[in-house]
Amino acid sequence: MKSTEGGRGVLSASSRLKMAYRVFIGAFFFGRKGLIIWDSWEMWVMQIFITPIAQMGFFAFLSVYLKYPLSVTQFIVVGNALQSMSFSAVFAVANITSQDKWQGTLPSTMVTPANRVALFIGRAWFQVLLSSLIAGAGLLYAGTVFGVSFAQADFLGVAVVVFLTSIAMTTFGLLISAVGLYMRTALIVANIFLFVTMLLCGIDFAVSALPIWLQPLSWAIPLTYGVEAVRMAIAGASITTLLPILGWEALDAALVMLAGFGLFSGFELLSRRTGRFEEY
Amino acid sequence: MVSMHDLPPGKRVSGYFAQKAQVLKASIFLTRKLFFADPQWVIPNIIAPFVFTMVAFFLFQGQTSGSSFLLYLVLGSGLMGMWGTTIYASANSIGFDRWNGTMEATLAAPVPLSWIALGRVLFNTLQGVLNAVFILVIGLAWFRVGFSLVNPAAFFLASVATFLSLSSFGLLLTTVLLLSRKGGFITNSMEIPVYIATGTMFPIILLPIVYLPFAFMLAPTWGIEAIRIAALPGYVGLPTTYWEDMVIMAAETFAYLGLAFFLFKRVEAYAKRIGTLEEY
Repeated sequence: MKSTEGGRGVLSASSRLKMAYRVFIGAFFFGRKGLIIWDSWEMWVMQIFITPIAQMGFFAFLSVYLKYPLSVTQFIVVGNALQSMSFSAVFAVANITSQDKWQGTLPSTMVTPANRVALFIGRAWFQVLLSSLIAGAGLLYAGTVFGVSFAQADFLGVAVVVFLTSIAMTTFGLLISAVGLYMRTALIVANIFLFVTMLLCGIDFAVSALPIWLQPLSWAIPLTYGVEAVRMAIAGASITTLLPILGWEALDAALVMLAGFGLFSGFELLSRRTGRFEEY
Repeated sequence: MVSMHDLPPGKRVSGYFAQKAQVLKASIFLTRKLFFADPQWVIPNIIAPFVFTMVAFFLFQGQTSGSSFLLYLVLGSGLMGMWGTTIYASANSIGFDRWNGTMEATLAAPVPLSWIALGRVLFNTLQGVLNAVFILVIGLAWFRVGFSLVNPAAFFLASVATFLSLSSFGLLLTTVLLLSRKGGFITNSMEIPVYIATGTMFPIILLPIVYLPFAFMLAPTWGIEAIRIAALPGYVGLPTTYWEDMVIMAAETFAYLGLAFFLFKRVEAYAKRIGTLEEY
């Protein structure tokens, strides 16, 4: 093996980085091909174009029925546009380990000497892009169907918020995926989390409307920052104005990622010790 | 070794209806066992409708405090629960056979697949009703709403009829998804559009006119309307009476059943001919 230090079989830092990058790229392409077993154009159309408008429409109609002013309906519409990415960012990513279990590929995945962080981020990365597309479609509907004005919007700010929120929510998906390594399936936790974000993240009403004891939980979820930031960006806040809130969102995502890595390492160790990777 | 001849004979019944009733009973019992063995049943049954209800409650509380409105909300949540369960379970009833490897055995059974599926759908809709009752009780307790109905007998009749219409719709859905391996995904995509189309949380009259024919073709739309007329004092919805709603719902339910049995026959024959149902 080349690039070892002093022939002791230990790779140098740059070699490790290069290998991790190769693993990341490989996992990214494999993630697109292998992970999404329902990979067909109807599914893509449905996920990118139908899911956001259905969710936005439901709550928008509810708001109209309750005779809320247009501004409230538009507040709701923008929140749901961003939240609709969760299906891809959280749900699909959370199922990575569970799908490995169903397909019988978990033992092979776990015995590879590949860098775990690069491998799983690579497999999840495709969902980051897909989530951004879904949220983008949602915001497009917000402007064209629901009449949200983008006249003052800082489009760079909107794009940065959408992309960062996609990454941040994907870290939550990875955290749940780590739990899925230990549990029979991560589906339950992913579903619960998906619905909880609707309630806690300021999607349909401001976080301040929640009971005070629940509000810290809201701010522990990156989507809450994302929703607030995207509304600010649409209202015209520049990227520099958005920096503090984006910073909090990035920090939150980093902490979630760290927690996910810790959990994954712990469960991997436990699985290796007990030899019960795939036991149901 | 025990030979086939040493096994106790199964209970044999004669007569067309007795045989079908035996199939239904066995199918319902097996579905019940499988249902409770999988902890995911809590998602469509309790978590999803409960979160939607809570979100709606936060939206409703800013605009209204009338008990009639709150009863409307609670009834809508219960119906969403019934719907969610029916769609989720119907779409996955054949999908579970694929995952569990029991597809061939089910298809090779000497009874029509439609009766096996009907048993499954009946159980799934029944637990959807239980789910609706659960949400109703929680909602009434949470919002402290009195449960006084305009016409309890009519409410009961409309509820039973809606249960049957949901079952027939579930059966029809199962035929459509028999040939598809994407049942889970289609279910997730259908859930919210169906909530919208049937007016679970707001009158369908708010919908764009192009959407209305689709809403009118769904039998539960009329069932929900009949339930509301029987439950809520001074309810103003579609320009139809209680009995008109019931007649339309009955006609559509019979149409679903006829179409479902016809399609089952065709789809089952097709599936046996091509022999690729389990292929991914």
